[in-house]
Amino acid sequence: MSVKYIPVQWNKNKYLYDAGLIVCVVLFLSIYLYLAPDALAHERPINPAIHNARAFGACAFTMMTFILVIGPLARLDTRFLPLLYNRRHFGVLTALVALTHALTILNWYFIGGPVGKYEALLTSNLAYDRVIGFPFESFGIFALLCLGVLAATSHDFWLKFLTPPVWKALHYLIYPAYAAVVAHVMLGTGQDGHAPVFNALVIGGAVTVAGLHMLAALRDRGQGDPMAHDAGDWEGVCNWADIEEGRAKIARLSSGERVAVFRHEGQLSAISNACAHQNGPLGEGRIIDCLVTCPWHGFQYDVRSGRSPAPFTEKVPTYDVRIEGAQVLVRTAPNPPGTPVDPVPVPQGSAG
Amino acid sequence: MTAQGILTGVEIWCWVGLAVGVLFLLFGIHRVDEDADGAVAFRPLLIVGIVLIWPLVLWRWYVLAIGRDNWQARHVPPRAVHMMAAVFLAAAVLASVLLSTSLKQTWPDHIAPEQISAAGDAA
Repeated sequence: MSVKYIPVQWNKNKYLYDAGLIVCVVLFLSIYLYLAPDALAHERPINPAIHNARAFGACAFTMMTFILVIGPLARLDTRFLPLLYNRRHFGVLTALVALTHALTILNWYFIGGPVGKYEALLTSNLAYDRVIGFPFESFGIFALLCLGVLAATSHDFWLKFLTPPVWKALHYLIYPAYAAVVAHVMLGTGQDGHAPVFNALVIGGAVTVAGLHMLAALRDRGQGDPMAHDAGDWEGVCNWADIEEGRAKIARLSSGERVAVFRHEGQLSAISNACAHQNGPLGEGRIIDCLVTCPWHGFQYDVRSGRSPAPFTEKVPTYDVRIEGAQVLVRTAPNPPGTPVDPVPVPQGSAG
Repeated sequence: MTAQGILTGVEIWCWVGLAVGVLFLLFGIHRVDEDADGAVAFRPLLIVGIVLIWPLVLWRWYVLAIGRDNWQARHVPPRAVHMMAAVFLAAAVLASVLLSTSLKQTWPDHIAPEQISAAGDAA
């Protein structure tokens, strides 16, 4: 979280996370370059520039693969949620490693000709009408552009300025970027066939990423949040007795929005399920001292007002709540973000 | 479209983006985001992003400046898109793997090398 874009959570864990990332990158490059060149099938002599380019390319692919498995793993098993922490720093470092790969390639293969290196990159292979010998560099250029956009728009300012849904939609570029990287590798070294171990690792990583995302998407579809029962301006969300103390039940309203109804000290409050930061699922968080904590990045809100505790300024919409028999009803139209709503006591004598 | 045309287009895009970035960071950002008022140190971090997506920046600047931002839309994440993204990714990975493993480049390693010019002639 930040206040006026001054980072206030640059704590020890964050520094350790970033230091760990850099150490891992250095280790990967060292192993690739010095310890295991034979295993990675550099049986044909190559010069240091090509060797370096391949090392940075392999490192960028590996980093993208790790980044892309974190999301579905966290959806499938909440024990992986801590890996979401600081994932954007991981992404920025990945973009820098990929850029190093691209610059090394550009300054080795495409200089010294009659045209400039950028023009040479675009014109040296124009065989777009065939599979064998396809200009796989184009996939790499596309992926690098996507990674650049993602890295350059990773600051929290962009989330607030673009809105979380637009920011998320923009950051879905990671999927075509990864698909392009896989095509870049497979139509390059994969088709060349001189590095079977490396190719097997790439295929294994790509299939793992694609498989985990399919699993997570199918699980979301099969066990997604239930629809609320429409009853005019109010919608039935659940039975109040089903809500555990300190927890929430989530439901999709007819408006398409998700509401999270929390039970805290025997009273019910409803707020938007979408965190103001990255639209993380607030209803999957737990209440501590009236504050629910987003499971994605730890943003906190008072469930009675939808406001973050001072000095933070984040706010989420609240909903009016009432109880009718066993049913919890919320008003379909949300209140503006940060509007206090009196909590509704659950009926006396209930065990809950 | 020629390569030179593409490069010229990229250059124009970047210059326009830089101009938008300078204007936005100097005169616009603090008017559309109260948290940016008085916060200056982070602004240079935004320049690359503005250069890359300046049309989107202009659109959001306009929407916020005229007060037409829809606060409700901020809380409706595009979650359904994930299924489409997952299917697309699986299909793309499968296509790349199949194409690369079924169609291999062949090396002319059965042909003995032949010296076509005398040493020193290449220069």
